[in-house]
Amino acid sequence: MTVSPPIVEMRGIVKVFGDLVALDRVDLVVQEREIHALIGENGAGKSTLMNVLYGLYRPDAGTIALRGQEVRLRSPRDAIARGIGMIHQHFMLIPPLTVAENVVLGDERSGPMLSEGALAARVRDLEERFHITVDPTAKVEDIPLGLQQRVEILKVLYRGSDLLIFDEPTAVLTPQEVDELFVIVRKLRDEGKTVIFITHKLREVFAVTDRITVLRDGRNAGELETTSTNASEIARLMVGRDLKRPAARTPVPSSGPALEIRGLQAKSDRGAQALKGIDLTVNAGEILGIAGVGGNGQSELAECILGLREPTAGTILVGGADVAHDDPKRTRERGVAYVPEDRRAEGLVLAFSVADNFILGRQDTPPFSKRGVLDTDAIRANGDRLAKEFDVRPPNAGAIVGNLSGGNQQKVVLGRELTAQPKLIVVNQPTRGLDIGSTEYVWERLLEERARGSGVLLISSELDEIRALADRIAVMFEGRLVATLPAADAAEEQLGLLMAGHAEAASA
Amino acid sequence: MTQLQEPATTGPGAERPAPSVRQLTFQFAAGPAIPVLSVVIALVLGAIFVLFSGNDPLRAYAALVQGAFGTPYDITETIVSAIPLVLTGLAVAVAFRTGLFNIGAQGQLLVGALGAGWAGAQFASLPGFLLMPIVIVFGIGGGALYGGIVGLLKAVRGVNEVITTIMLNYTIVFVIHWLLQAGPMTAQNAFGTPASTPIGAGARLPVIIPNELVLFSRLHAGLFLAALAVAFFWFLLWHTPLGYRLRAVGLGARAAAQAGIDPARHMILVMAIAGGFAGLGGMIEVSGVFGRVYDGFSSSYGFDAIAVALLGKNSPLGIVFAALLFGAFVHGGAYMQSHAGISSNLVAIIQAFVLFVIAAESLVRSLTRRRGARKPMEAIA
Amino acid sequence: MTWEMVVGASVFAAMLRLAAPIALAALGGTMTERSGVTNIALEGSMLVGCFFGVVAADRTHNVWIALAVALLAGMALAALHAYASITLRADQIVSGMALNILALGLTTYLDYQMYGTTGTPADLAAVPDLHLTFLNGIPYVGEAIADQNSIVWASLLLVVALQVFLFRTVLGLRWRAVGEHPRAAETVGVDVRRIRYAAVLASGALAALGGAYLSLGVVHSFTDGMTGGRGFIGLAAMIFGRWTPLGALAASLIFGYGNALSTSLQGATVGDTKLPVQLLGTLPYILTILAVAGFVGRSRAPAADGVPYETEGHA
Repeated sequence: MTVSPPIVEMRGIVKVFGDLVALDRVDLVVQEREIHALIGENGAGKSTLMNVLYGLYRPDAGTIALRGQEVRLRSPRDAIARGIGMIHQHFMLIPPLTVAENVVLGDERSGPMLSEGALAARVRDLEERFHITVDPTAKVEDIPLGLQQRVEILKVLYRGSDLLIFDEPTAVLTPQEVDELFVIVRKLRDEGKTVIFITHKLREVFAVTDRITVLRDGRNAGELETTSTNASEIARLMVGRDLKRPAARTPVPSSGPALEIRGLQAKSDRGAQALKGIDLTVNAGEILGIAGVGGNGQSELAECILGLREPTAGTILVGGADVAHDDPKRTRERGVAYVPEDRRAEGLVLAFSVADNFILGRQDTPPFSKRGVLDTDAIRANGDRLAKEFDVRPPNAGAIVGNLSGGNQQKVVLGRELTAQPKLIVVNQPTRGLDIGSTEYVWERLLEERARGSGVLLISSELDEIRALADRIAVMFEGRLVATLPAADAAEEQLGLLMAGHAEAASA
Repeated sequence: MTQLQEPATTGPGAERPAPSVRQLTFQFAAGPAIPVLSVVIALVLGAIFVLFSGNDPLRAYAALVQGAFGTPYDITETIVSAIPLVLTGLAVAVAFRTGLFNIGAQGQLLVGALGAGWAGAQFASLPGFLLMPIVIVFGIGGGALYGGIVGLLKAVRGVNEVITTIMLNYTIVFVIHWLLQAGPMTAQNAFGTPASTPIGAGARLPVIIPNELVLFSRLHAGLFLAALAVAFFWFLLWHTPLGYRLRAVGLGARAAAQAGIDPARHMILVMAIAGGFAGLGGMIEVSGVFGRVYDGFSSSYGFDAIAVALLGKNSPLGIVFAALLFGAFVHGGAYMQSHAGISSNLVAIIQAFVLFVIAAESLVRSLTRRRGARKPMEAIA
Repeated sequence: MTWEMVVGASVFAAMLRLAAPIALAALGGTMTERSGVTNIALEGSMLVGCFFGVVAADRTHNVWIALAVALLAGMALAALHAYASITLRADQIVSGMALNILALGLTTYLDYQMYGTTGTPADLAAVPDLHLTFLNGIPYVGEAIADQNSIVWASLLLVVALQVFLFRTVLGLRWRAVGEHPRAAETVGVDVRRIRYAAVLASGALAALGGAYLSLGVVHSFTDGMTGGRGFIGLAAMIFGRWTPLGALAASLIFGYGNALSTSLQGATVGDTKLPVQLLGTLPYILTILAVAGFVGRSRAPAADGVPYETEGHA
């Protein structure tokens, strides 16, 4: 009996973006009628690899073979023609059109006139075959996200895809909807389809998959059979790296909590529940690290604290006052500093000079303005001073911030936020995209602030960073803090499990 | 809450950033190089057009220049034409600096003219040192109100300012029709076109060039007001905290918001300021040139203002030069028509080319920027 | 003021006459915005259609050729906008404004060069009225619709046709998809660019038809700037009509009615006071502002409207 070739065999895939090596000779082998998990942390390269498979990116090196035949995929149209379908993380649906219209768009298979009835009937047939239920005549904008995902699946099935790629499919689903999705996926496999699941959640991996490929930092980290492995092993493969010894730290005597959050709930921009009841405390003189893969509510948490997002429930106490419903101006007056996740879009006005960015938010106060007039000399002097103090290179306060490197841009943000002697500092992914030198600099400054008595809420998806800086570590997963432990007690592997949704590890 | 109100509609141009403000004020290409180039290209295109329509472009342009600058009188007339363009240009530019597209300079100018015209007639008996400030206040105030409405609608209901300004431009025209033809501001006049009661002598801006120097010059003291306005624009934007905040909202609304600068509030403010500039322009036209409000005066300052602002890169000196250029077009164009027999509308055609080249040029700018910067962070994971 | 002045048959007839060019512009606007491109140069397309239709009628004495030329002129102007907006991804408002100025300048310039001070000839080939004599006996309705210009009827037909097209055909479905979420449409193989080009060109043709109606159908001449802002009223009608052809028609009728009223109520009085008929001119604009501000129902433009589309930078 001949063994049929794998439905997908990617070998030695390399993909580079400028300086960044996103994929470094990655292999992926998927057999037919398999449910395959592609797992890894943020930045591991999972989505990039799938985008290559789907024809959105062309690899810089490596081969792709479909059913034993080597292919070149130039565009999604090529991939679709060869039976590859992608269910995107951010749905590619047209909200005001109906489910049926969305499914058939681009491949309507009818004469020039459209018959809604015929379309709906065709979609219903498809639904029956794969046990997927969603009303074909409903408008996509009227149905919940979980059902919208089914429309994406139907789109792919309608075009006769044999290989379905799911990109982080459960990000927006309720637990109930996740179970329903698993049923659909199994049915798809029964009907002869092959499925690749991109995920970082272990629960999903163990619920439906047959085989697992682990990626880490753009490279292969392991290929496993689901039944012959366990959560710990996968977690270790996902996050394992050379441990940087956390700096020896003396505990700082605390003068009370800098931040207290109780029962915080909030919705994401897409309307899903991003925060499902957060309780946390950050004491003065401590760094609380919120570990977790991006997209589990971290940004929403930071935004609620700052006043950029309105919570639906809960309190946020800074210095004893509830700032949950205050605007950023009011909140900052209580001594809150913020280093946002996206320094280019949120942290800086790129077209302004370094000096101007240093005073963003404080432009109305002396010495920068007196009686309604800006004191440009004072602003410049301040800029020079801070540029030197915060090691901005080159130390030219008149330079346009947009022209600086990422590391120097981040130093400008720090310079602005830290000089005001804040009581609470909220930082989100502070060293993303930074070189080693800048990263170390940022870490140093945060530790200094801690020693000075500020409370620091550090949100980061880099475990290294959390381990290096945090006194206590909380893990955020799907809008909840699944554990909060002293850093000394938190084992690397345990954190990896928690980040991947394995809540039992909390009590290990 | 500083979150910008979700737009009620995402109608024409709703979610776009204002054109060119990022590109033009971002210092990638130095100084006047691109605007000058745009004008040169437009003039070349205009010359080609003139050729195709069977006329002599050299003759046309020579007449244009002659008409605009040939005699001292012409020079003063060019300046007279340029003055309202400076003010409406400032009205458009200050809004651009905050990321808003103010097409409503025309309407705001008219409301300012109305205000000034009404106050000038109502209090006509007052002496100059009292009446002039009153008229100025009414002019600026009227325009500011009209601009403020636009900002308010945007901040509170998320309505795109492109739509509201275009609609309001037309609305005020009809209101003026009514006011002057059948409403409370009707007055008798010798010309037959509906007009308002003339303003008092104390509200008239005096001609500043005596007849001995330039015969019949109309160059009025509005020139000083315009200069003051330009200085104010410069001072406001670069030397006051309010100006800093306006520019921050225009160049980085999200960063400004998280720093405590409320974009919505500043949109309202900037539209009011913009309206104020345009309203001053209207007041100057009434006080300096016409002496009253005519039905149908000042037909195209609003659209010219957009070209002036874009060409002038939303900056004070640039706007002055651009306004002078367009003033030269207007005045020189009339001469070109009467002396060279070429329709003065050639000027409008050239203007259109200028705008077109600017629109396309900002793309060139954004293309050269995009070349280097890939988006690695979004691409992975 | 009499009842006749407000709802008389002649007012109704005037409403239709005045609504037609607005409706055509509104249809054009609807078609482009439904594909995601903002075209405020409808006024310009209308004006060039107006002018070049007259020139062609003068030169060829053939009304069909004149109409064709008018449509081509409108499309040519729109093509410039399409190129700027779609290929160059320039700012659509600035491009539209530039083209409006160009149209006005160009037509006035050429009018002066060609017809100087004497004006356009008086015996132009004209678009005929449609005389429905069988309606002559019917009160009210007869008077209202019996003698409308053919283009008025054409526009009614176009409204129906475009409504069916947008909402009942495959191409219409793709058209709307492109205006809402072009990337999603592209990922399923829809040619975003081609549809947008077609949309902008179509809008130029529709607006130009409206212009030709004014010059060749109604007044049989051309005067500078005679479109008088109808292109912009058309945009307002499009917005007020919620970006559908039927809505555009309804809005145009309302605006046309307001316009007709302002003429028929000219000089009318209620008691002793003269009615402020000039204020009726503000009707389309105020209504539109109210509509976009959400005070008159929910108004939602196609989601990708006015946003230049960039194809994903793939290899």
